[in-house]
Amino acid sequence: MIDNSQLGVMKEKTPILEVSNLYVTRSNSLVVEHANFTIHQGDYVGIVGPNGGGKTTLILAILNILPRTKGTIRLFGQNIESFSDWEKVAYVPQHAINFDPHFPLAVRELVALGRVNRSNIGRTLKRKDWKAVDESLDFMGISDIADKRIGQLSGGQKQRVFVAKALVRNPEIIFLDEPVVGVDAGTQEKFYKKLSDLNVTRGITILIVTHDLTAVFCRMSKVMCMNRWVNMAEITTALEPDDVLRKAYGEHFHFVFHKHKCERIFEDE
Amino acid sequence: MNEIVEIFRLLEFQFFQHALLGGTIAALACAWVGLFLILRKEAMMGDGIAHTAFGGIALGLFLGVNPILTSLLVSILAVLGISYMRRKGLAQSDSAIAVMLAVGFSAGLIIISLAGGFNVELFSFLFGSILTIDQTDLIIVSILGISTILVLGIFYKELLSITFDEEDARLMGIPVRLLSLAFNLLVAITIVLSIKVIGVILVVALLVLPGLSALQLNLSFKGTTLAAIGFGILSMTTGILLSAIYNVATSGVIVFTAAGIFLFTAIYRRLE
Repeated sequence: MIDNSQLGVMKEKTPILEVSNLYVTRSNSLVVEHANFTIHQGDYVGIVGPNGGGKTTLILAILNILPRTKGTIRLFGQNIESFSDWEKVAYVPQHAINFDPHFPLAVRELVALGRVNRSNIGRTLKRKDWKAVDESLDFMGISDIADKRIGQLSGGQKQRVFVAKALVRNPEIIFLDEPVVGVDAGTQEKFYKKLSDLNVTRGITILIVTHDLTAVFCRMSKVMCMNRWVNMAEITTALEPDDVLRKAYGEHFHFVFHKHKCERIFEDE
Repeated sequence: MNEIVEIFRLLEFQFFQHALLGGTIAALACAWVGLFLILRKEAMMGDGIAHTAFGGIALGLFLGVNPILTSLLVSILAVLGISYMRRKGLAQSDSAIAVMLAVGFSAGLIIISLAGGFNVELFSFLFGSILTIDQTDLIIVSILGISTILVLGIFYKELLSITFDEEDARLMGIPVRLLSLAFNLLVAITIVLSIKVIGVILVVALLVLPGLSALQLNLSFKGTTLAAIGFGILSMTTGILLSAIYNVATSGVIVFTAAGIFLFTAIYRRLE
């Protein structure tokens, strides 16, 4: 149980990502409009919303990959333009698992690429790097396929490999863009379980774009609904998912909630 | 049996030792650079630069300067030109390469006609003449080859990173544009150093075939790299030995050996 003093500490969690008055335009149309939100350390945020609602664009703007039209983004208290601690940030793009299947790379080699960064240019990876690779493989439960070619993996294995690659640099915040598309339900559940572990045991802040509303409302601490503008809500027992989602998806959507207990859907233990 | 005796006899000659040494360095550099070229889907870059280098050879012969040096200069200018056209959005990669290939090659033709036609020396640069490689050429090949191999060895993991996922590499703070340009310069250097060995027309085979054969084996990246280098050196030495014994065109035999290895690995993949 958490006593009040711990709650006090949790309430004062440091903001990791502050976005204010953000506008992003892509091919002449406004994709993100007036976004204002703050993500704190240890948040586990599900980003939901209709396709084309700007979810991927928002992430790319936060990572400074896409230019923005207006607004400020602060990562770890620094303005994004001058931000330099990219080792703290990991990103698993939507298309990550759609690599060329003939690319000659073993799982272990791919995960090791996660340790390649500005600080070790022109030097070989050290023993501690390979140790981190093995730990990451172990954490994601894929040590047994370490020597397999990445082209020979199943969809679920590919996802776990790419998350292992993202984790190998010990990030403090990780962005995942629809990582479970095209994977069977059982594998998806295991995947969300792994992410919860990461969030709880390592305190890693997670932002995940997903269409899996059950996973969002059962596993995560905040839900961010996006349809050009952003609306964020804390997930509590008092929250009515219907109200939150309607704002993003529009009046014409009809949501059917089966009122399952989350524990029964995700049998963790 | 006679052939083996012949090989040992040849090995005693300095020209033959030079050929084997220069050929091995060129094959190693070509196979390694070529594997990255294949994976970056830029194999035509190799062919484009090689044809542009022809213009540089003609210029060198015309001015009476060592053609390897002038073709190095022209090839580097071609690489810079291609990357400039790409960056400014003037042309896509393949069309930019096509433009440079045509301009470089026709520049060569104009210079040759001004000089009064083809000669034997030009022929040796078109199709290579490794058995006549002299000490100066060997020194140039060694310096260029070893520098290429060193740069590849040092930036191996960064090159792999930008080849596999450029966006992620950029996010990790790896200077993607600088490394891509540096790699393309290595392509130019590798092609130029191979001119004496195999000639501008066939150098693309030495770049592409060993890597392609290695890719058939479904190995890790490290394994594929080592296999490509092994296949490159094997094709080169086999080609030199066979052509010396049977007195046929060296570059032709080198390419045929490399193509034979590719055939074997492709069959192996089918059977696996």
